[in-house]
Amino acid sequence: MNLTLAVSASPARSTFRIDWSRPILVVVAAALCLLVVLPLGWLVYYSLHDRAGGFTLANFAQLATDPTFLDPLVTTAILAISSAAICCAVAAPMGWLVARTDMPLRKTVRALVMASFVTPPFLGAVAWELLAAPNSGLLNKIFRAATGAEPDDYLFNIYTLPGLIFVIACYTFPYVFVLVANALDRIPGDLEDASSILGGSAWTTAVRVTIPLAMPAVLAGALIAFLQAMTLFGSPAILALPAGFHTMTTKIWSLFQYPPKLELAAAASLPLLAVTVALLRAESFLLGRRGYSVVGGRQGDPRRVRLGPWRWVAFAATFVVLLNPVFLPYGALLNAVFSHVPSEFVSFDNLTLHNIKFVFFELSATGLAFKNTLILCTSTATIGTVMAVVIAYMTSRKAIAWHRALGFLATAPVAVPGIVLGVGLFLTYTRPPFVLYGTLWILLIAFVTIVLPFAYQQLQSAFRVVNPDIEEASRILGATRLGTLIHITAPLLRTSVIATWCFIFVGVIRELSAAIMLFTSETKVISVLIFDLNESGDLGAIAVIGIIMLVVTFAVVVLVNRIPGYGGERLRNA
Amino acid sequence: MGGVGVSRRTILKASGAAAVGVFASPIRAAAPEPASITPDLIEAAKKEGKVIYYTSMDLPLSERLAKAFEAKYPGIAVRVERTGAERVFQRVGQEYASNIHAVDVVNSSDASHFIVWKRDSLLASFVPEDVAKYYPVEQRDRDGMFAAFRASLSVIGYNTRLVKPEDAPKSFADLLDPKWAGKIVKAHPGYSGTIMTATYEMSRDIGWDYFEKLAKQRVMQVQSASDPPKKLALGERSVMADGNEYVLFQLKESGGAVEPVYPTEGTPLIVSPNGLFKAAPNPNAARLFQSFCFSPECQQLMIDGGMRSFHGQIKDKPGHRPLDDVKAMKEDAAAVEQHGDEIKAHYVKIFRV
Amino acid sequence: MASVELRNLTKRYAALAVVDNVSLRIEHGVLVCLLGPSGCGKTTTLRLIAGFVEPSAGEIVVGDRVVSSAARTLPPEARKMSMIFQSYALWPHMTVADNVAYGLKLRKLGRAEIAKKVSAILTTTKLANLAERYPGELSGGQQQRVALARALVVDPETLLLDEPLSNLDANLREEMRFEVRRLHDEYRYTTVYVTHDQSEAMTTADLIAVMNGGRIEQLGSPEDIYARPRSEFVARFIGSSNIIKGLALDAGHITVAGVPVSCTGAALAVGRDAAISIRQHEIRVDTAQPAGERQNVLPAVVARNVFLGNSRDYMVEIGDGTQIRVVTPPGENIAQGSKVWLRLPAERCRVLEA
Repeated sequence: MNLTLAVSASPARSTFRIDWSRPILVVVAAALCLLVVLPLGWLVYYSLHDRAGGFTLANFAQLATDPTFLDPLVTTAILAISSAAICCAVAAPMGWLVARTDMPLRKTVRALVMASFVTPPFLGAVAWELLAAPNSGLLNKIFRAATGAEPDDYLFNIYTLPGLIFVIACYTFPYVFVLVANALDRIPGDLEDASSILGGSAWTTAVRVTIPLAMPAVLAGALIAFLQAMTLFGSPAILALPAGFHTMTTKIWSLFQYPPKLELAAAASLPLLAVTVALLRAESFLLGRRGYSVVGGRQGDPRRVRLGPWRWVAFAATFVVLLNPVFLPYGALLNAVFSHVPSEFVSFDNLTLHNIKFVFFELSATGLAFKNTLILCTSTATIGTVMAVVIAYMTSRKAIAWHRALGFLATAPVAVPGIVLGVGLFLTYTRPPFVLYGTLWILLIAFVTIVLPFAYQQLQSAFRVVNPDIEEASRILGATRLGTLIHITAPLLRTSVIATWCFIFVGVIRELSAAIMLFTSETKVISVLIFDLNESGDLGAIAVIGIIMLVVTFAVVVLVNRIPGYGGERLRNA
Repeated sequence: MGGVGVSRRTILKASGAAAVGVFASPIRAAAPEPASITPDLIEAAKKEGKVIYYTSMDLPLSERLAKAFEAKYPGIAVRVERTGAERVFQRVGQEYASNIHAVDVVNSSDASHFIVWKRDSLLASFVPEDVAKYYPVEQRDRDGMFAAFRASLSVIGYNTRLVKPEDAPKSFADLLDPKWAGKIVKAHPGYSGTIMTATYEMSRDIGWDYFEKLAKQRVMQVQSASDPPKKLALGERSVMADGNEYVLFQLKESGGAVEPVYPTEGTPLIVSPNGLFKAAPNPNAARLFQSFCFSPECQQLMIDGGMRSFHGQIKDKPGHRPLDDVKAMKEDAAAVEQHGDEIKAHYVKIFRV
Repeated sequence: MASVELRNLTKRYAALAVVDNVSLRIEHGVLVCLLGPSGCGKTTTLRLIAGFVEPSAGEIVVGDRVVSSAARTLPPEARKMSMIFQSYALWPHMTVADNVAYGLKLRKLGRAEIAKKVSAILTTTKLANLAERYPGELSGGQQQRVALARALVVDPETLLLDEPLSNLDANLREEMRFEVRRLHDEYRYTTVYVTHDQSEAMTTADLIAVMNGGRIEQLGSPEDIYARPRSEFVARFIGSSNIIKGLALDAGHITVAGVPVSCTGAALAVGRDAAISIRQHEIRVDTAQPAGERQNVLPAVVARNVFLGNSRDYMVEIGDGTQIRVVTPPGENIAQGSKVWLRLPAERCRVLEA
């Protein structure tokens, strides 16, 4: 039997379709390069040149020899190490209590840690001024009233290096907590059961199995806390000056005073950058170590350690810890909103609405600041999320040739401290060809760069969960990559996308270190407004705006948790 | 223009000989024509709809000024950008370097800034009618680029609940007494124009020795000259080594437990001019606003806020110590312009921040 | 060495009884298999025995000690049991040797003795050259053997296994089934083995407890369960059975599609609905109507005929529409649509209890 198959010519396409995938991918990749590489490039350039434009190492030489630079360096080192140590000491046990024991009200504790997480550290610093300034602080007043001490005596002095370390630790410990709690959540119950059945008591199991497995997370948390403390700007700017010292970040900022010493600022930024990069490499090394991931099949839910009568003691201790970042500062702010003088306790007789009136009806910068903040938050969240989706798609599906470089670039900004990025962007966009200084664009660029790594990581994890087969099925039927992304994949990632959007929104509201470098009067945002108000000591107005910030932030966070299928996962990916 | 309060002679005495004043920097021989507020100007200003005012004057007072203007000329919104004078200067410099023209009218408590701006040809020549009629020649620029909008003193002060009047310091030298260690608050010349000017005047009249000794008193360092009075009212410190007299005055008037002290060595006088920019985005509104600033109405508002005014028709507030009775230090904006950076660097070295 | 007894053991989560009034006695040295589909409660029962879960009612007695009851439960570390987890639960931060030595260290044995025992068990489980490796570096089969070694080295009184072979590939699984049985014969632990795979159960167990919905449906030896399933569930779960429904004629006969069928097993209640099970290979297929017999001969039509190499798989439809699967030797090829007669030997028609 002779079968001849007629081979037909390849069928002509019925419609001409442009595949937008390639160009868009290329554009996004290019944008990413611009965002990250340009500012850093200018930073390096400025640090190696003098005012006249000639190549020089004098800037670095001055850094190394001038005591007004060396002192802040030492101070920053002490600050960062102490904060990290306190954070670990506090947050690791708390993480264990929440993830591994039957301590009561665990969900509440997680929520309160979340509250600490979203509170802007500079707002916390102002609130702690209200609480612990040596003479006017509310806590010191209570102390003197309760113990009948001398008018000069005080229990707490926030205007000291330990005071600053304390405030920084208050708002940095959530990073350690989240890492430790997540790691403990993920340790399969089987591993602890296996120890129990072989005869290990609860203590033995904790020491020989649980803690070693959680150790990488604790160390990673310590590194992150160290980095945060090192690169914070707002809290030191508020507390260090009255205390009489500079940190690296406030020193860099002071170099912008007239006449600006941009070259020194650039040179001073580079050590911060170098340390950050080094520590991040160490962190990923720690978390990626062999074997600390799951082996085998179905995992069990962990059995919780029974604390017995100690449950309530544990909760009380946790609650006392949470007083510091949450309850006390929020209370002080509320008090300042309604009182004539923030150092006075509000009562029904001396309650005043004057501060609220001032902020809403008299302060002419309020409206513009809120408007700018809203515009920037929504646009950063939208653009950041879209970019992160596209980039995460490219890297998780290996859609283009240099996807690994892309992934690296997307996470690179995390190595650039906010203030360093601010300096770099300032240097880049105050000169031709792109003079973006004075517009909202430069702030948008700064914010997108800052939030991109976080958004990218979130969405990358989300992509991993979506089976690539689903997309292949779409493409075999004729859809382009981009079409598949839009119509098939993105809807599946809906909850992650929305959550990422919300978290970016919240993150941008509280951004200060980059904004302080790049704003002008037309583009002022709320965080900068608060900072300016602090300069002139208008604490009542700060309290009003701060409370509004917190309310908006919490509203957004609560909204995220209401999304069906998402609530409860929030801290896992934070 | 006699009467209780400010007299020309006082000003001469206070601000020093014309030759060294900020107002004595000539570009042209003849001063420009004074401008009155015409309906056309108001119309044009309303069309622009807004005016941007950079100032270092304490925020509530600045906003009150803004609201008074808006009430008188509805339809023109005032946006006040308040920050320390040195930061205002830095801000304007940065903006103009990037070709950003955001500011219409500027006020600075560091008069030397105006020397620089005038030299860089950034200011517009505009003489409001009130300035021509009621302001002493020494308090306005020959070429009409700016005039003294307000003046205040940088005083010592104390919290009356924490310090008894008889124990209060009466001179700068008194502040060096060990009993005040850890109890003093002061502001910083790197941020505040008032303090920049005051530090220059004091370093010239009393010497840097004073500052070196003061630095050993564990002083609480704040930024703006408006902050020390507020810290006193808060009860955070008992004594302020410098700070705005007008803010202290306002706090005292509204029942705060604070009291100013005019040091025996002399009190630094700070004159703060107002000027408007050539490249102002809202030029007509700017001119209207500038005219308003020097009007008796506005100046009275200033006086009520504890400020000193050079307007011939305006007198000091009753209860406010007349400027005549204050031994004021002479200001010298040209010297501040020359030595400003040195002074700041020296200060930073002594106080370590 | 001790026996393990479950007495009226119940575990409730909210209103749902995941383990429902289970009673079972396992004599010392016996290997019992808890067999059943997912969700039948077998793993929960195992975890109750281990002490990871506390009973809502009933008790567990090991030897003469009550180890679990609704009032008091002995923690797992005090039960002298050993367990192999479905996920193996190897500690990733310890080497193979450390993993295996863990239990011995807890029993405070001397260093030399620990080394000796570890070395011995690693040799037995063919892991001697992997002693210093980490679990992450091993294959699935090797990890499973480490889990085995770790559990056995401590000489437990009771050995618990939670689907230990389900993560292995088919060949390895078969091999390991025999290995588990061999080790049990050698050491004679009291063993409880949980699985959903009936061939695993048939190979390894002395006794099989078929579980469904939290209860034990049938307890017996593998042959018992296979040859004499007592309920439809057990019949379906073990071996390939047909379930044929009909009406009871008398104590030993039912009528199916009008044909009387004699069956064995429990006595039937007259007039009630009844069901019998018969294995697929126990039915004979005739292309010609058998002369004279009417009882236990069902007329049917061939709906499907699949050649499997060493057998033929037919799907036939009888008079009342019921579909029956029949497996025959490959020789005869009966075409689709042909009329056939099924002969059901009476002793193979087993009555199913309701």
